[in-house]
Amino acid sequence: MTPGDTPGHPGQMGTLETPTIVEPDVDETVDVARPWVVVVWNDPINLMSYVVYVFQKLFGYSREKATKLMLDVHHKGKAAVSFGNREQAEADVSRLHAHGLWATMERD
Amino acid sequence: MARTFRRNRSSEELAVVLEAGEAAVLTRLCEELTTLLNAGGGGEQSDPVLERLFPRAYLDPTEEEAEAEWQRFVHDDLVDGRRQAVATVEGSLAGALVRRGRFELTLSQEQAQAWLAVINDARLALGTRLNVTEDMDLSRLNPDDPDTAPYAVYWWLGVLEERLVDVLL
Repeated sequence: MTPGDTPGHPGQMGTLETPTIVEPDVDETVDVARPWVVVVWNDPINLMSYVVYVFQKLFGYSREKATKLMLDVHHKGKAAVSFGNREQAEADVSRLHAHGLWATMERD
Repeated sequence: MARTFRRNRSSEELAVVLEAGEAAVLTRLCEELTTLLNAGGGGEQSDPVLERLFPRAYLDPTEEEAEAEWQRFVHDDLVDGRRQAVATVEGSLAGALVRRGRFELTLSQEQAQAWLAVINDARLALGTRLNVTEDMDLSRLNPDDPDTAPYAVYWWLGVLEERLVDVLL
């Protein structure tokens, strides 16, 4: 993401590379009702402030939680942003794609 | 363009003031997005910009069947949503009051969302085309240099988007 704000560095997210399958950074226990996880990946274009805004708008997260997730994406390269059954995860991925975020889903 | 977007206190509307040159750039970007979306409507995605705007959902390559079904289910809607946002921005620019070389217009919350979507899509398209990296310093570019002009537009879109997010957050 780019840090944004200051003219000079409209903030963007890291590099857009082909994702390798990696276990998401979440609890080991699998919730049977929510077996899918939606992951947002870092990219070099999206503004950090925009990503926070989208997390708040789409998931109703607090500014604090949305900011923490955005920083995870920025620093760790990705963050798990939602969990659910297959249909819920597909819907969240579509909404994130509609907002230009790079999101994928995988089994939790 | 000190205060491009301002929230009206009495309503949820946003007041927008653009220089004529800024409005012209936005209009051109809308046209380019429309061309891009028309090219990508068929679902053939060898263009990296289309791959960026319409990425896969399933990380696991063995989920090809689910991926194809998901694409069938949502792709047209995702394209349509982007087209509608472009049409909304074009409509608001066409309806702007032009005064002393400035474009003045008012956006509802819904229209402001379309503006945000289009500005972000234009940044994604341009940034992907230009292969930008996170640590590029684009602030010192000469916008009159034809070689660097696209980077200057990309940088300006970032400033514009930052301002819009600021008033929406």
